[in-house]
Amino acid sequence: MNPPAALESLFATWIEEHRGIMVKVMRSFARSETEAAELQQEMLFQLWISLPRFAGQAKPSTWIYRVCLNTALTWRRGTNRRERRIEPEADVTRLAADAATPAETAGHHDMLEKLYTAMQAMPSPERALVLLMLDGLAYGEIAEVTGLTENHVGVALTRARQHLATLLKGVTDELE
Amino acid sequence: MNWSDYEAVWKRQDLPVGAHADFAVLKETFEKKRRKLAATLFARDILEASAGIFVSGVLGYSWWHMGREGWPMAFAIALILGISGLFVRERFRAHRLRLGTDAPLVAKVEADIAELYHQRHLLLHLWSWYLLPCTGALVIVSATMVRVLIINPPPGVFLSALWENPAALAWTILYVAVVLPLCFCGGWKINRRTVRKQIEPRLHELEDLRRSLLSPV
Repeated sequence: MNPPAALESLFATWIEEHRGIMVKVMRSFARSETEAAELQQEMLFQLWISLPRFAGQAKPSTWIYRVCLNTALTWRRGTNRRERRIEPEADVTRLAADAATPAETAGHHDMLEKLYTAMQAMPSPERALVLLMLDGLAYGEIAEVTGLTENHVGVALTRARQHLATLLKGVTDELE
Repeated sequence: MNWSDYEAVWKRQDLPVGAHADFAVLKETFEKKRRKLAATLFARDILEASAGIFVSGVLGYSWWHMGREGWPMAFAIALILGISGLFVRERFRAHRLRLGTDAPLVAKVEADIAELYHQRHLLLHLWSWYLLPCTGALVIVSATMVRVLIINPPPGVFLSALWENPAALAWTILYVAVVLPLCFCGGWKINRRTVRKQIEPRLHELEDLRRSLLSPV
């Protein structure tokens, strides 16, 4: 079903306002630039075809988190290679995994790289929870995105933080 | 470095801003992909059911030619239409139960798992709802044709020529007794292979994911 013009305008606004969500999911779940581009295309496509179903039943950010994380969690690397040609015109923004901007100091960039490296070593569900937590979502919002109970989110996050702390220490030791 | 340092860095990470594509071009790319996906699903929906309807039409036409003596063909037509009906029911069921990627993560994973188990069940029990009715229909059609030949052999038609030509009869028997069963067994093996190579690995992946998401508190 073709989204009407209003939804099209909404899509264009969302990929601008919430591209941060897609960038962070890509950086967390893709292991290379090629995979990042593949995942980006898939997330944008899923957002596009899911848009007609959005009826304000959740916040836009919650809805976008769900689509992006569902896509990343169930995405199969290397499938649909024939269709994976990256259409130049569909590369919405340069969401390259390793892009650094002048605003990031070398130290912050290092920390960020360590954080992403540690996250990529975590199981996908834990990674998703950590991403949501780092983005500042409350337990209730995380529960809404994941479908877990708030209680379960609390305990799972505590465990995920401990695991991440261990991994960060390992990454830091390895890189120093 | 402590946890709040990492949190601060995460929140302050700059997001790359690059060239923006023309939205109309982006929309066209995705619409092309969406139409292709919809066409694939539609073709699959239609083909599976319409094959049975086509075969039923051919059997109906044959019955009309045979006259009243061809009445058992009604059972063969019912079996074939029954298979088509099952395909149609499956398509409606799949459309009704499919969850989009905008569903909560756990619900989406569980829905995908349930659908894969259902597909696996259908493929592993292909004999009961597909091959056996097809075989039954074939037996009924063959028996009816032989019966009509005996009761009222039409002159100058392929079937009477078959009756008078032992070699042609032998080839026909070979086709029915050997070639068709081999095709059915081949179909069965292909389905088993699909279950083993595609469905089961995907099922394990999703079940691991579900287990991780729902690991006991």
